[in-house]
Order: sequence, then C-alpha cells, then structure tokens
Amino acid sequence: MKPIIAIASATVGEAIRRKVLLVILFVGVLFVGFAPGLSVLSARQERSVLIGMTLGIIQLTSAVIAIVLTVYLLPNEIERRTIYTILCKPVERWQFLLGKYFGAVSALGVMMALMTGVLIIVFAIQQGEYSVDGLAILARAPAMYFIQMSLLAAVAICFSTFVTPLVNFFLSGGLYLVGSLFATFFETMQSNPSTPAFAKGFATLINTILPNFSLFNVQNPIINPGQQIQSEGAYYLTATGYGVVYIAAMLILGMLVFQKREV
Amino acid sequence: MGAAIETHQLTKSYKSKSGGVVNVVDALDLYVEEGEIFGFLGPNGAGKTTTIKMLLNIIYATSGEAKIYGQDVDDMSVHRYISYLPEKPYYYEHMTGMELLRFYGSLFGMSKGDPKYLQLLNRVGLGRDLNKTLNQYSKGMQQRVGLAQCLLNDPKLLFLDEPTGGLDPVAHSEIRDLILGFRDERKTVFISSHELSEVERICDRVAIINRGKIEKQGRLEDLLQGGRIELIANGVSESFSHGLNLPDTTVSYANQRLILDMPDDQDVNALIDSVRTQGGTIVSVIPRRKRLEDLFVETVRNVRSTESAAEAGQL
Repeated sequence: MKPIIAIASATVGEAIRRKVLLVILFVGVLFVGFAPGLSVLSARQERSVLIGMTLGIIQLTSAVIAIVLTVYLLPNEIERRTIYTILCKPVERWQFLLGKYFGAVSALGVMMALMTGVLIIVFAIQQGEYSVDGLAILARAPAMYFIQMSLLAAVAICFSTFVTPLVNFFLSGGLYLVGSLFATFFETMQSNPSTPAFAKGFATLINTILPNFSLFNVQNPIINPGQQIQSEGAYYLTATGYGVVYIAAMLILGMLVFQKREV
Repeated sequence: MGAAIETHQLTKSYKSKSGGVVNVVDALDLYVEEGEIFGFLGPNGAGKTTTIKMLLNIIYATSGEAKIYGQDVDDMSVHRYISYLPEKPYYYEHMTGMELLRFYGSLFGMSKGDPKYLQLLNRVGLGRDLNKTLNQYSKGMQQRVGLAQCLLNDPKLLFLDEPTGGLDPVAHSEIRDLILGFRDERKTVFISSHELSEVERICDRVAIINRGKIEKQGRLEDLLQGGRIELIANGVSESFSHGLNLPDTTVSYANQRLILDMPDDQDVNALIDSVRTQGGTIVSVIPRRKRLEDLFVETVRNVRSTESAAEAGQL
C-alpha cells in the first residue's frame, strides 16, 4: 500500500502544478464566478438558468481536466524516464498504475472541490442561499460528477496503456460524449417493442459495453425542483455502485495490458 | 566470487517495418563478477540500454535467460538489492532533495523520518541543498541526488547509464569519486557509458557491444595489451634506418633523426644498444599504452568493415 500512496501523492503534486490544467481550472472558476452576471438574459428563471449554467461549466471543465490529466500520465513518465527509477524498485506495475490513477483522481477531486466551493459562495452571495440543506442539494450534482469524472479518468488511463495520448484524447472524449448523450437513446431502443430484434441486440450490446456516463447527470431535479428522482437514495447508490464496478473493470484491464507492455 | 549478472543467449527482437525480425540484442552472453566495476560500451543503438532494461525487467527478453545474483530477473525480490540511474532522468521537480529521497524511500517501505535520507544527501554533497526544490538543482546536483536515490536500499548492484554524461569537469570528478567509493563497499557497478577515458579509469572489466552482439569482453589490462613504443634517436645514418627490419613498425628518418613507432613487444634494449653502437644517441623512449578508445574504435570499425565486405560479396 505504501508505494501506491507515495506514487499517488507525487502525482497530485505534479498535477496541481501543471500549467495547462491550472489554466483550464482558472477558466472554469472564472465562468462559475461570473455566471450570475450573464444570467440577466433570462431574468424570469434566473435561478434555474444560473444553476444549469454553473453546473454545466463545472461538468465540462472537469471532463476536460480529467482527460488532459490522465492521457499524459503514463506517456510522460515513460518519456521522461521517471518510470524506470520507480519500476526498478520493488514496485509492481499494477501498484504504479493504481498510484497514478488515485493521484489523478485526488487532484481532480481538489480541483472540482474548488469549483464547487466557488459555486456555493456565488449562490450564497447572489441568491441569498444560506441554508445548509439548500447548499447541500447544490453540491449533490458535482459529487456525482466526481464519480463520473473518476470513471472517465479510469477509461483514459486504461487506454493510455496501449494508445498514444492524442488518440486517447479523442477516444476517451468520444466515449464520454457517446456515454453521456446517447445512453438514453440506446435505452429507449432497447425498451421500445417496435424496435427490430437486431437493433435491440445492438443497443443492448452498446449499452452494456460502453460506460453509461448519463447515470451521473443528476442536475435536472436540482435545476427544476418540480422534477424528482424516484427512490432518490437507491438511485444514487446504484449509480455509485455502477461507477465503482466500471472503474474497477477499467483499472484491471489497464493493469493487465500494462503488465505485458514494454516501457 | 559469484556472478552478479549472468546472461545466456539473451535476445531481444522486434519486427521491422519491412516485416522481418531485427535482433536489437543478439544471443548475449554476459558475465559480471560480484564486486567489480563493469563497463558496458558500444556505439549508439548498439543495444546497451535495451540490455539494461531487460536486466531490470522493464522490457522482456524474446529468448535466452538473465540472472542477477542467481535469481531470474523477473523475480521481484531482485529489485530489493539493485538500483538504476537512467541517462538524463527527470525527477519530480516540485520536490526538494529530501522529499525526493523520502518518495523513493517509501517505495522500499522506509519511514519518513529515516535518518538515512540525510546521511545519503550528505554523502553525495547535497547536505546544504536538501530543502531546495529540484528545479533549482544544477545538472550535477540532479545526478548526485539520482545517485543518492540509488543508494537508499544499500544495493549490491547498481546500473548506471551515462552517469557523467553532460557534466562539467568538477561534477565529473565528484561522480567518479562516488563510483570509486562503491568499489570499497564491494558493490557491483554496471556502467554504460560513452566516456571511454572515464570507463578506463574506473572499470575492472568491460564488454563492447555492437549491433546487439558482444564483440569483446574481458579485463581491461588484458584487452589493452599490445601498446606501442616510440623511440627517437639522433646521430644515426640513413643506411642504419633502412637496415632495420622490424615487424609492424613505422620508421621515419630526417636530418639524422630516427623516429620508430613499434609494438611494445619489440626488444627495445637491443635496439638501443645498436643505436649506440652506430654512434647515435637516444633522445627518448616513450611507451604508449593502448587506450580503451583505440580498442573501441578498432573493434567497431572491424565489425563494420567485415559487414561491408560480406554485403559486397552478396551483391
């Protein structure tokens, strides 16, 4: 366990100093901070627009950070030869990969927490939202985004064991888009009785294999208090369980490939 | 003394773009004795780093076997007593020298407060700079902190890839002294380097590898046998110089000065006697030891010319 923690903390140290990530984070924080100024365009539903916009900014910024951070994790270590000084010590490759992953997720968590903190402050000041419950509801979506981004990071780190960073960037980004936007479409195809059998099979296959990122998009009930998730607690628990299992599967696959890979 | 490193027919092949197979390391039989400083030499692309990576189990051999202190290299317990300093490594620059050692120490399960960190930083001369971040370190300091991280586990065997590459003369000499110190501690050091004069000064044995094959391997004193002697004499006649019939000797004569460049197994005393008998005087007798650079260039050129001849024969 000690090597994994050491590698993870070194990865956090590196990640929070990477200029490109800090620039993306800065832009994200800036938008979250100044979003209330933009929302005058929809004065009638100012609160809903503001919540939707700021959560969207947090989600988009986090996704970009998650991909940019993880696609370079392994290639940089190999290119700069740091990995050799680590793997020649009694460190298994799976420990190295896990350490890198947990480090990346921790750094991501810090950055997302910062954006969420700004979001809460903005709401407290702009909307006069001071109740703990109200602010906790706001923080619920970023919390689910964190699991979503941890899953995205696991996908990207798994791919980084066998594809180049550029290919990985588009592959992971593409999967994120498909898994976020088309999961509902494939679910509808599966459940629709008029869908032909082969299309149903295809939809089932895609929905089973591809990570379902849309499970973590829980912003709608927060934006529109009229909407509600049925059995909310069970839903969050199932989504979290799905995320953890998928992350574990991605990491195991990554470890198996990395074990065979020559660095 | 046992073997620190032993390889038998170790081979690493890659598929070439044309669909064939290229042996980057070709049936390598290497023997490094415990406690010696071993130089692993070769031109660029000869297979040195590939060999080291196979010995560290960072890449895997296509065939053959490699053992470190009698254990297969894929046995993780080997990593408890070896260390590696890669060529131009990058260390996490946000860390201080002390933090870097703590990081590498934790990979061995060492505690944060272990006094060994400070001892090692003092040993490599970084005792005053332990709280500076690595981006403030010079190249020489980075190399020294690299050596310090290599010593954390008190290794029996160190792999050093170009340990003095790109360093100024002072840093060069400091690193050399540190490596020579390892000999006193009976550590085995495996150095891959292009700095042949450095290797000649510190290594007990060397191997020269070219295109993945060992061309020469042995003790330096054995490999560097066959030096030359330069003899300069004044006042001898030209006919005397013409009368000399010495094998593998270059004879130059001008203005009554004779210059001979001959193998060191010549009977120099007899030659001096005959110069004196002719009324000449000996100006100087300078033995010139064969240098490692001469051996290296000669070996690599021989291989290339043999290959060229073979290719020409095929055409």
